[in-house]
Amino acid sequence: MRGRSIIAAAALCTLAVAGCGSNSSSSTTAAGGGSKSCVAQIAIEGPLTGPVAVLGQEQLHFAELALKLDNAANKTKITLDQGDTQLNPAQATTVTQQLTANSKIVGVVGPAGSQEVEAVGPLMARAGLAFISGSATNVTLTQGKYPTFFRVVSNDRVQGANDANYIVNTLKPKAVMIVDDQEVYSTGLVGFMTPILKAAGIKVDHESVSQKVTDFSSLVAKVTPATSVVILPWQVASNAQRLGHDLAQQHKKAVIFGTDGLFSPGTFEIAGSYVSAFGPDITAIPADAALVTAAKKYGSFGTFGPPIFAATHVIDEAIASVCKAGQTPSRANVLAAIKQTNEPTSILGQPISFDSHGDNAHGKFFLFKISSAGKYQLVG
Amino acid sequence: MAFFFQELVNGVTVGALYALVALGFSMVYGVLKLLNFAHGDLYMVGAFVGYFVIQWFGGPNALTIPVPLLVAIMFVLAGLLTGGLGVAIERFAYRPLRNAPRIAPLITAIGISFFLENAALLLFGAQYRVYNTSDFIPFHAGFSIGSVSVYAVQIMVVVLGVALMVGLRQLVNRTKFGKQMRAVAADTEAAEMLGVNVNFTIAATFFLGSALAGIAGVMAGLLFDTVNNTIGFTAGLYAFTAAVVGGIGSLPGAMLGGLLIGIAQSFVTGYVSSTFTDLIVFGLLIVVMVVRPRGLLGRLQLQKV
Repeated sequence: MRGRSIIAAAALCTLAVAGCGSNSSSSTTAAGGGSKSCVAQIAIEGPLTGPVAVLGQEQLHFAELALKLDNAANKTKITLDQGDTQLNPAQATTVTQQLTANSKIVGVVGPAGSQEVEAVGPLMARAGLAFISGSATNVTLTQGKYPTFFRVVSNDRVQGANDANYIVNTLKPKAVMIVDDQEVYSTGLVGFMTPILKAAGIKVDHESVSQKVTDFSSLVAKVTPATSVVILPWQVASNAQRLGHDLAQQHKKAVIFGTDGLFSPGTFEIAGSYVSAFGPDITAIPADAALVTAAKKYGSFGTFGPPIFAATHVIDEAIASVCKAGQTPSRANVLAAIKQTNEPTSILGQPISFDSHGDNAHGKFFLFKISSAGKYQLVG
Repeated sequence: MAFFFQELVNGVTVGALYALVALGFSMVYGVLKLLNFAHGDLYMVGAFVGYFVIQWFGGPNALTIPVPLLVAIMFVLAGLLTGGLGVAIERFAYRPLRNAPRIAPLITAIGISFFLENAALLLFGAQYRVYNTSDFIPFHAGFSIGSVSVYAVQIMVVVLGVALMVGLRQLVNRTKFGKQMRAVAADTEAAEMLGVNVNFTIAATFFLGSALAGIAGVMAGLLFDTVNNTIGFTAGLYAFTAAVVGGIGSLPGAMLGGLLIGIAQSFVTGYVSSTFTDLIVFGLLIVVMVVRPRGLLGRLQLQKV
C-alpha cells in the first residue's frame, strides 16, 4: 500500500513538473535572513522495518527531531525522504538507486550498517551524493573507497582497542568469552579485540549467535568459573539483558562487557556490566535536557538515535551555509560544505569535523559501568 | 557430567516450546494440508498478550494480583485471543481459497505472516518489550542439584507443555471431536457426506492450533523475556522444521521433532560451538530427511490411482 502511495505521489509530481521542480530550483539565497526561503530535500536510509526496526525507528525519530529544530533555527525548509533498508545491503542498493535518481535530494543520512555502506558507496559516489552514517563503524569504509561517505562516530579500531585495553588493564581476567552476533559490526569488533586480549595471555572462547536468538541458556552453561568477563559486541540490548539473567539464573559470576550497540539505559540494566558508547549519556547532560524531553515522546531510546541527530544536523547546517552564501543547494555544494564542517560541540559531547576520508576527526568512545540501580556511570 | 545435565535441562525446555508450536503447525496441516506460515506470528501475538497482561496488572515490579493468578490469566487470555485470531484468519483468508490451487493459500499464508508482523510493528512499535520475569519469579525459585540449576519457569514450561501435548493427544484420539478431526484430515468430502460439520471442525482445529501457539508465546516471554514483532519468524521456522522432521501431520511426531531440535541445539552449542549450531542441527535434519523422507513418525499415505 505504501509502495502504491509512493508511486501515486511520484506520478502526481511528474504531472506537476513545474510545481515540484521549480520550487527547489528557484528558492535559494540566505537562510535566516534572506528574502527567499532555503528549500532542500534530504533523505534517511535506515532499517525502518524488519528485524532491527527498533534501531531504524529510533534513528528516524532523531532525524525528524533534528530537522525540525534546525529548520526552526536556520529558517530553512528542508524536508526528509525515507528509505527502508531493513539492514539488508541488497535492499539498501535498491533504495539508494531511487534516492540518487531523485535529483532534488542533496544529502543522505545513513545507512545504518557497514555492510550497507559497502553496498551503496559506489552508487553514492557516482551520483556525487554526500551520505553520513551514525552507526557504520567498520574501519575499511574510510580508507578512500567512498569519497562522499562521512560518519559522525568513531570506528571499530578505536572502540575495539579502547575496550580490550580496559579489560586487560582494569578487569584483568584469566579467561573471557566473546560472542559475536554474526553481523559485520560485531565480527569487526571481535577482530580488533581478540588479538589484544590474546597478546595479554587471556584465554578467549569465541562464540557466535544470530541477533534473532533469544535463548542463551546453553551458551551461558559454557561460561567456566575462570571466565570472569563475557564480551558482547551486540546491537540488541534486550538480548544482552536476557543473557545477563541467564548468567544469574545459572549462578555464573562473569560480568558483561558490551560495546556501543548495547548502550541502552532502561533496557540493558545488568548491574556490574560495562558498556562503551560514542558519547556520554545524553540524558545526563543538562544542555541536552530539552532534546531528551523532545526525544522521549517517541519512547525510550538507546545509542543509535543521537548520532543520527548529529548527522542530520551536519547536513542541515551544510545546506544552510550554502544558502547563506547565496547559492542553490545542490549535491556538489552541499558535499563541499559538509567537508568544511567544524562544529565545536554536538549532541555527542564532542566536536565534529571530518578528515580527508570522512572519519570524524574527534571521534572517541566513553565507557560506562551499570550500577545496581541500573544507572550508567562514566568510568573511562 | 553436571554440564551435560545443565544442557539437557536447557534443551528439553526449549524443545518443549518448539514442540508446542509444532503441534499447532502439524494439526493445521493434518486437516487442511496447508503450511500455515502465519503460525509463528500467532506465537508472537501470544507473547505480546502476555506482556500486556503483566503491564495491566501493575508491571513486573508492582503486581496487583498473586503471581500464579497472573500467569494463569496470561495463558488463558493469550490462548483465547490467538485462538480467535486463528479462526478469523481461517475464515477470511484461507476458507475462500480452500478449493483453489495449492499455491494460492500458501502465498496467502506468507502474506498473513507479513501482515501480522507489520501490524504488530504499527500497533506496538519496533522496540523490544521485556517481561522481566525475574522481578516476579525470582531466580532462586526452582532448585539446584550440584551445579545444575533448574529455574521455576523452566519447570513450568516443561510441565505445562507436556500436559497440553498429552491433553491434545487425548482429545484427538478419545473424543467425538477428535474423531471428526481425523475424518476431515483423512477425506474431507467423505467426512462431510457422513454428517461431519467440516467448516466447524477446521475452524476448531485452527482455534486449538493457534491457541497452542499463543500459549507457547507466553512461555517464551516468561522464559526469554524479550518480545518484539519479529520473534515469530524464527519460532515458526523451527516449529515447521520440527513438524517436518517428526512427520508432518503427526502429532507425536511434532512433539518428538520439537524436543529433538531443542536438545540438539543445546548440545551442539555446549559441546561444539554456538557458531555452528544451526549448521550442525540442520545438517542432521537433512540426514534424517534423506534417510526417512516422511519424517520420524510420519506415515506413508496410500493414494488411489
